[in-house]
Amino acid sequence: MIKKLLSVVFFILVMLPINVLAQNGSISGKVTDASNDEELVGATVYIPELERGASTNIDGEYHIDNLPSGTYELSVTYVGYGSYNVNVSVANVNLVQNIQLTSDFADLDELVVVGFGTQIKQDLTGNIARISGESIEGVRVPSFESAIQGRAAGVHIASGSGKLGQGIKMRIRGSASVTAGNEPLYVIDGMPVTSQSQSGTNSITNPLADLNFNDVTSIDILKDASAAAIYGSRASNGVVLITTKRGEEGRTEFSYNTQAGFSTPTRTMDWLNAEQYTKLILEAADNTDKIIGGTGQRDYVESRFNALSNGTDWRNHEVDADWAGAAFKDAMTLYHEFSASGGNESTQFYASGSFDDQEGIVIGNDFQRLSTRLNLDHTATERISLGLNFNLARSELTRVSDDNGFATPLQLVAQMPISPITNPATGELNDNTLYYNGLLHDEHADFTQTAFRNFGNAYANINLTDNLAFRSEIGADLLNQNEDERYGLGTAGGMSGFNNGLGASRWVQVVNYTTNNFATYNQVFQNVHDFEMIGGTSFQYSTRNTAYVEGENFPVDDLRTIASAAEISDGNTTGSDFAFLSYFSRANYKFQDKYLLSASGRVDGSSRFGADERYGFFPAASAGWILSEEEFLRNNDVISFLKLRASYGLTGNAEINNFGSRGLFGVTSYAGSPAINPSQVANPGLKWERTAQVDVGMDFGFFGDRINGELDFYMKNTSDLLLNVNVPGTSGFTTYLDNIGDMENKGVELAINTNNLVGELMWSTNFNISANRNEVTNLNDQVITGQFENRAVEGEAIGVFYLREYAGVDPDNGDALYYLNEMDDDGNITSGDETTNDINAASRVVAGSPHPELIGGLSNNFSYKGFDLNLLFQFVYGNDVYRAAGRFQSSNGSFLDNQTVDQLDRWQEPGDVTDVPQARYRMGNGAGDSSRYLTDGSYLRLKHINFGYTLPAGLTNAISLQRARVFVSGVNLLTFTNYEGHDPEVATDFATGNLDLGNDYFTAPQARTLTLGVNIDF
Amino acid sequence: MKYLFFLTLVLVMTFTLSACDGLLNVDPQQSLDTETVLDNSQNVESALVGAYSRMGATDGGAATLYGGPLLYLADLLGADHDELRWSGSFFPQREVWDKAIPTDNPVVTAVWTNAYNVINRVNNVISALDVVDEGIRDRVEGEARFIRGLMYFELVRFYGKAWNDGNPDSNLGVPLVLNPTSSITEENNVSRNTVSEVYAQILSDLDDAKELLPSENGYYADTYAASAILSRVHLAQGDYDDAALESSRVIEESDYALVSDYEDVYNASNNTTEDVFALQVTSQQGANELQQFYEAEDGGRGDMDILEGHLDLYEAGDARLALFDVDGDVSRSGKWTNAIDGNIHIVRLAEMYLTRAEANFREGTTVGDTPLNDVNEIRERADLDPIESLPIFDDLDLEDILHERKLELAFEGHFIHDLKRTEGSVEGLSFDANELVFPIPEREMDANPALEDQQNDGY
Repeated sequence: MIKKLLSVVFFILVMLPINVLAQNGSISGKVTDASNDEELVGATVYIPELERGASTNIDGEYHIDNLPSGTYELSVTYVGYGSYNVNVSVANVNLVQNIQLTSDFADLDELVVVGFGTQIKQDLTGNIARISGESIEGVRVPSFESAIQGRAAGVHIASGSGKLGQGIKMRIRGSASVTAGNEPLYVIDGMPVTSQSQSGTNSITNPLADLNFNDVTSIDILKDASAAAIYGSRASNGVVLITTKRGEEGRTEFSYNTQAGFSTPTRTMDWLNAEQYTKLILEAADNTDKIIGGTGQRDYVESRFNALSNGTDWRNHEVDADWAGAAFKDAMTLYHEFSASGGNESTQFYASGSFDDQEGIVIGNDFQRLSTRLNLDHTATERISLGLNFNLARSELTRVSDDNGFATPLQLVAQMPISPITNPATGELNDNTLYYNGLLHDEHADFTQTAFRNFGNAYANINLTDNLAFRSEIGADLLNQNEDERYGLGTAGGMSGFNNGLGASRWVQVVNYTTNNFATYNQVFQNVHDFEMIGGTSFQYSTRNTAYVEGENFPVDDLRTIASAAEISDGNTTGSDFAFLSYFSRANYKFQDKYLLSASGRVDGSSRFGADERYGFFPAASAGWILSEEEFLRNNDVISFLKLRASYGLTGNAEINNFGSRGLFGVTSYAGSPAINPSQVANPGLKWERTAQVDVGMDFGFFGDRINGELDFYMKNTSDLLLNVNVPGTSGFTTYLDNIGDMENKGVELAINTNNLVGELMWSTNFNISANRNEVTNLNDQVITGQFENRAVEGEAIGVFYLREYAGVDPDNGDALYYLNEMDDDGNITSGDETTNDINAASRVVAGSPHPELIGGLSNNFSYKGFDLNLLFQFVYGNDVYRAAGRFQSSNGSFLDNQTVDQLDRWQEPGDVTDVPQARYRMGNGAGDSSRYLTDGSYLRLKHINFGYTLPAGLTNAISLQRARVFVSGVNLLTFTNYEGHDPEVATDFATGNLDLGNDYFTAPQARTLTLGVNIDF
Repeated sequence: MKYLFFLTLVLVMTFTLSACDGLLNVDPQQSLDTETVLDNSQNVESALVGAYSRMGATDGGAATLYGGPLLYLADLLGADHDELRWSGSFFPQREVWDKAIPTDNPVVTAVWTNAYNVINRVNNVISALDVVDEGIRDRVEGEARFIRGLMYFELVRFYGKAWNDGNPDSNLGVPLVLNPTSSITEENNVSRNTVSEVYAQILSDLDDAKELLPSENGYYADTYAASAILSRVHLAQGDYDDAALESSRVIEESDYALVSDYEDVYNASNNTTEDVFALQVTSQQGANELQQFYEAEDGGRGDMDILEGHLDLYEAGDARLALFDVDGDVSRSGKWTNAIDGNIHIVRLAEMYLTRAEANFREGTTVGDTPLNDVNEIRERADLDPIESLPIFDDLDLEDILHERKLELAFEGHFIHDLKRTEGSVEGLSFDANELVFPIPEREMDANPALEDQQNDGY
């Protein structure tokens, strides 16, 4: 690209005077495949300077006439082939210019973004997954992580639910820490950005949703140590480098994109209707009465039915309310984007503005984003260039309660179907229900999170000599977020302590300043020694402040701000900072274009660690050998490219509290008096968590790279785990942060790209599959628990489900049975298949794992004439999901909660063989936490489909358009799974620790979105 | 040009190297360094206030100890199922009510860790008394010892066998930790002391507190609060002489007085005249889980149903019966209805009358007053006729006193403790049943190897 740009610049400069004097001529010729001389139909032949061009016809021929005399660059492009540029001199006659194109499937000369620079893909010795911005255009999801799901090997991405704007988990080659962060470092145009949730509730939200990913040109994911170690102490979880679009010299290209559509839940669940419900619950009450004697349970249940059916005749099912359906709404989605890019030889720009309006499938949940961007590049002198990236965004997220709040829409499923949704007497929403009616929240409460985001950075590049360049970058990521909550009178009673309405306002400001200053030296010695070196420093300072105020006692609901609150009931401000100071260097050496060596090192200092352990050193080295450049493989008919590579390096993890090493007293209060208290016990020896990673891989291309791909094996060993170690509670503390323990991730990744059909009907396939095995190898004999049943135990993957094992139902009496699983000291089960009906007598075992055994994606791309079709299937295989709400939703009538329809299969009389125990109200028969609610979470999903038609050029040119395309785009259109809950891609939002994996607790299903869109370039 | 570049580079590097290293010295804005924090009198006083704070709520506002669990767990564990029902969906409380407590019960675990958290707070205060201004040093020490004694008393009676259950000299109580924790080492692995060792420490702390504390101390503990808790400790140990002396001291010497109208005892925003010691809850700070569980309105969950079996214990016209609110076919305790700033009563003067009556009765003494007068004092405040004028009573007997005590102090955290010391039974379990002693929390057994083989019987 650079080369092309330069040659254009050169020729314009040289030939401009000649043009003025020239006369008209024409040019014609044939475009063929270099390897077999076949004619290529539909290749584009274009003269950029004149904005003139033609396509080849059925015989591969083209003709462009009426050309002013002069010398031009002729550019020939064809899908699946490398582009071809040739300079032609047009005089007053027809010039015949035949062109041969070479197939180019692997994009090996593509530039890949590495830390502090770029590198040609062919020369890489590390493992970097690259996703082009183009491939995710038109995917209607709030943030780019969802859009790249299934597109990169070894990268496991899961959004927790269909609630918009929620946090998303990205695990690159597994989880590398128990206590410290597991999310990768996100870097946008060289600046590390704030990616941690700033939500004031337990539920995490996603600050990366502030980025309009249609502005992104590429996403490069640094996976192995060689690639990532240049980010040192923060690279253990991988690094995601996001590069935004830049302008190119030439005419200003305008583009307008729009999409409109709707979303529905991917899956819904079936619940008992009024008749089934009353029958089951009364049966449950009768069964309990039989066991304990009397009619107390039936009397009680009937009294509750009488009270909560609101005077309707529940015995005859007068009301049969669809509470589950009330949680969802018709969700529309709308997107507009306008962009312009272009520039002259010295200044180029890219500018865009977009408005994204996505309604959530869950009532009370919507997302809007307004985003503008300006990227500028200016060449000041032959040696000095500078530029600016500026992104301003406002996003507004309308939120609902966390999954564990009665007010959250998905908890409506628990209401009795005999309770009317609206009170028949008043026509108002019914406030006399089993649990708080969450619809009252939808009507009388607001929770709006507004973020103002500014990603901005500037750079200057000085080419001191032809070989030495110095680059200075300075940038800031400003995040201002407001969470505005208002609970009206109608919500009183639903939440504790409300007094005539409650309002709260919370502001968070996170400012990240970064400056990178580094020099790059490039030299080729004696034509065979290709040497590149960088060295520099980086400094980041981050400051975070919050302010919170809460008021009660509002005169009327319409007054929203806390100025109207009679009582200011709570308020505080907080502040916390951290700093990183780093020195880094990397050298790449290439000999004869076939032997590659790379070494890098980074010294990182952080304010987060004790003064004794403040600096860490993170080196990495890698080597590559391009076998296909060797004599014995050169010109091989089958193998067109083959590279072996290996890397080893150390990376770190510093994602802990800002002052994790210090002994601290916090501040509290009692009865209006200020107070202090020991809040953290000191650990002056606290240091980095270190991950050593080995990667061995191979890049290959067969049949002229028509089939190409990558295969990698890796082993990541994390030691000195930053661990919240349980300490005896008698010390006055429950945990302290220490470097204890080891963890291991090992895996294999395979990515294959094939060009199945080339020519008029084009079909290419990208397939990736990867397997990661995580094992906690040493925790100092500790067992660490998550909020549900997940645990970290030695010898198992982090977050395995540690549960009593459900053994089904005793056919004789309907008791729920559990395997005893008595164990000896070595953990061997000594009780065989013996079962018990006493859940407390059964021991817990590792009953499943939230980690998939395999993840992957399969993308097929077709094009024919004006049509294009992309289908992405994504799959996750071998993981379990714990349906933590199952003990309420599918408890065979242990509570008054409405039940899933499968509970009708309960045991009723001796001899019944079923998995659902006898219904016993209030006796918890089978309703304890056990593997009964653990189900396979594997799924295969049509993640994304994009089907478009580009109007013929003749038609669009006639109305002065460069291109016009209409398309249909779908997200999550099909899901294949055996999961028993809503959607298997699930993580409840209020439990977000590293161990809290794969739990479903009244969690919203994912959204299925279908949109119709138009792209217009002019 | 080259020189310019190198100059720039060197300048930039030097700048970042020298200037930024200092910037790594980032200090917290909301916390203080442990090493220097307790070097002045004011901070030590603030640390003492911090101990009160944790007795009711975490800094995040979640209820701890007297903010709920210490009181409602005592009643859930000690109540017959026909008197009190846990109807809520929370499992930890249900397990206590069912008297089938798994070792990982989170509420039982939190009582343990929070009580020791408070103990560490006061140990910090006691270790730093040297820097406290002399004028207030006695008070600061007295309050710290009062809180420590109180916490160990709650711990030992929940997690150890009752004093009257077997031999307290060999029965295991809880580990005694009397110094602040500044780092985590092997020394933090402490094993359990015996019940009698823990009681000895409690008596030592509370006796000191009684001597050191002033007779009036706002809503912080005063000398009578120490005496009141001492009377409970003596009662638990069957030391009725001292129980009578301490309770009588509170009644006779302090300014505390019974509230004339029973209804006004509860749900006030401020301490009443009969609150000898209460935990302060304000709309800004503190938590009241008792309101949340006992009450069905104002955000209450209505998880604790009061049943006929309990209501039948009252005589007609009893003001204490009138306090219950009918909610469908169950009743709600009217003692915990203030959702905003209802204080939590830890010792009321009424308890002192009943303690003195019982102790005098058992010893055949009349320290302060006769048992009959003391019981009637309480009865008359509840709008009931005095016992001597009622034909249903032949004479005052111990059962009458204990019955009066149960009704007066119902749902204020006394059931299980009174049941154990009077050797009663609940739901078919005898007072010394293993099920009525909390397990040592599983997390504690796992984290502290010194507790190996020291789990309570039956777990």
